[in-house]
Amino acid sequence: MELDLFIRYGPALLSGFGVTILCWLVGSIGGLVLGFLLACLYRFGPKALGWLIYIYVEIIRGTPFMIQLFILYYGGPYVGLVLSPMQAGILSFIIYGSPYFSEIFRSGFNAIPKGQIEAARCVGLSERRILMRIILPQMLVPTTAPLTNFFIILTKETAILSVVTVPELLYETQTMAAETFTFVEPFLVLSLFYWVLVIGTSWVGERVEARVTRHLRRV
Amino acid sequence: MNKKLLGLVAAVGVSFGLATAAQADMLSDIKAKGKIVAATEMHYAPFDILKDGEYQGICHDLFTEVAKELGVEVEFLDLPWQSILPGLEAGKFDFVNAPVTITAERMSRYNFTLPIGNATVALAKKAGDDSISAPSDIAGKAVGSQKGSAQLEQLKAFSESLDTPADVREYVNIDEALSDLAAGRIQAVANSAPLMGYAAVQRAGLFEMVMPPFGDPKFFGWVAPGGEDSKTLVAAINDAILKMHEDGRLQAINEKWLGSNPELPTTMPDVK
Amino acid sequence: MNFSFEVIWHNLPYLLAAARWTLLISLGGMAISLVWGIFLCAGRISRGSVIRSLARLYISFFRGVPLLVQLLMFYYMLPYVGLDLPAIAAAILAVGMCSAAYTAEILRGALQTIPAGQTEAAQALGIPTLSLWRRILVPQAIRIGLPSLVNELILLVKVSSLASVVGIGELTRISQNITGETYRPLEIFIAAAVIYFLINLVISGLGRLAEKRLEVG
Repeated sequence: MELDLFIRYGPALLSGFGVTILCWLVGSIGGLVLGFLLACLYRFGPKALGWLIYIYVEIIRGTPFMIQLFILYYGGPYVGLVLSPMQAGILSFIIYGSPYFSEIFRSGFNAIPKGQIEAARCVGLSERRILMRIILPQMLVPTTAPLTNFFIILTKETAILSVVTVPELLYETQTMAAETFTFVEPFLVLSLFYWVLVIGTSWVGERVEARVTRHLRRV
Repeated sequence: MNKKLLGLVAAVGVSFGLATAAQADMLSDIKAKGKIVAATEMHYAPFDILKDGEYQGICHDLFTEVAKELGVEVEFLDLPWQSILPGLEAGKFDFVNAPVTITAERMSRYNFTLPIGNATVALAKKAGDDSISAPSDIAGKAVGSQKGSAQLEQLKAFSESLDTPADVREYVNIDEALSDLAAGRIQAVANSAPLMGYAAVQRAGLFEMVMPPFGDPKFFGWVAPGGEDSKTLVAAINDAILKMHEDGRLQAINEKWLGSNPELPTTMPDVK
Repeated sequence: MNFSFEVIWHNLPYLLAAARWTLLISLGGMAISLVWGIFLCAGRISRGSVIRSLARLYISFFRGVPLLVQLLMFYYMLPYVGLDLPAIAAAILAVGMCSAAYTAEILRGALQTIPAGQTEAAQALGIPTLSLWRRILVPQAIRIGLPSLVNELILLVKVSSLASVVGIGELTRISQNITGETYRPLEIFIAAAVIYFLINLVISGLGRLAEKRLEVG
């Protein structure tokens, strides 16, 4: 292994890592919010809307991110939609993540016995209070771990943004690999950087989980 | 499971320690087996093409002839570039018959054969674009090329020599650069002359070549593992290439795919 | 742009042939992911601290290191320790073992919603641990986690595209290669997307069906 490679390519790799973190945070939090809205509309909205959401979820979730991004970025100009790499990257990232988040939240709704909601209605709680006080606190219990999972999956999906020249981590390691004809060093860099993100995300996930499952623990 | 995990950890450690597995002379091994396994990316027309489920192209035709000269069968593998170098070092196959631009830095790690293709950089533009008629017309325009490639370096050097440099954009794959040329975000794509020429022939209404090629002359070679074990193999393949220079097979194959003879040197080119 | 259906039609047989590899890797990977994921989940919440730490380490490693690198390790580094797997086995194993880490976490999340009283009651009744898991905990965890599990299986179908790095000509790889020859990426990629979509539609359809059948309360 050649350590001077890390010095030579260090600044580019670090800046790539920065772009990866930025795209990941903006894209995944955007996807989370959109996914939550979709799940709520699916659950509580009119039936026709539910069908539209269902179709959206199946289409976006069922097709590869690389192809979605490719079509948006390279096909968009034919219909007058010219986006910059960063715009296309973040927009498609938000859209790509949303159906997964929406399904995770739907599984959270499923975990709550219908009887509880009926009971809450009987005692005259408003729908808003039912959502905030009864559904949300309980649905976070089974969904925190899958949400953490999906945030972790998205860290690595950022690599796909390289196909539209977003200068993220993979894009930068490709330069190092192609110019120097090495492979151990670039893969090591990729693994270490992603692992740092994953460990950080798991740590946050565990803290959140400890908080939302506090009421279940026995003293 | 935990054993497996330990195995993995050990494997990582071992592979960092050992650059290549201990091997005897590769040429005699291949001759003893009667077969050489060659890997490439079947994704670099006109050198490597996957058409209607079949591997074709200049590198296919040339290497099939080389294998005949060696007196062995050949098995071709299609791998994405990320795994070609790891596979070569792990001994999953013997040889890389992809066109790889010969550069000094790469020669210090792997053993190259004699040139098998012209890698000098040339431009493609959108068909009918009158604003570019010579390479120097890219001044101030957006030009795409492949990241980390020797052609990108040539393009950058050329661009710097112009009064107004071009806006050089780097793509991970050349397909994406061509897609962006078609979409209109960039005005030209720079890559090796044969590749650009082939794209212009295949999508004649969409792309057009800008003549002439520019920058330093560069060549594609094939790649064998670094070190002593592959020296005799490379020498035998070089002999086969030279023989094909003489009996006209090299020219015939090139003319079949390119419509012209690239006039390749018969000695190793000088690289800085 | 002149969109060419002819290019799609001409290359469809090759895309479908490649999709068979995608299916094979996905189905093999799913089997490993679900079975191994249950064991990992049990390890992750086990009382034995050694098993628990090992399960945590496993999950951290397989979620942390990009699958691309894991696949390269399985295929190119295991030969150094004398284990030379065929490409397809390496691909299925790598995809399945990586996905199992995510499956384990989904099941763990779902298990937390099951009241501890159920386990205590089962223990008080003398139900053996294996039956407790097989008949009480796992079925409920699957019901609650089902949408997330379907998410994971669909992701698995899509990451099977990484099997190209060990030389398997699956759907994404063959699409890219055809693009390299036809210079028509939009047409070919749209065709590939439709094939992925249809495969995933079956998975999510089965998921919805199972959800309906398991529905309680």
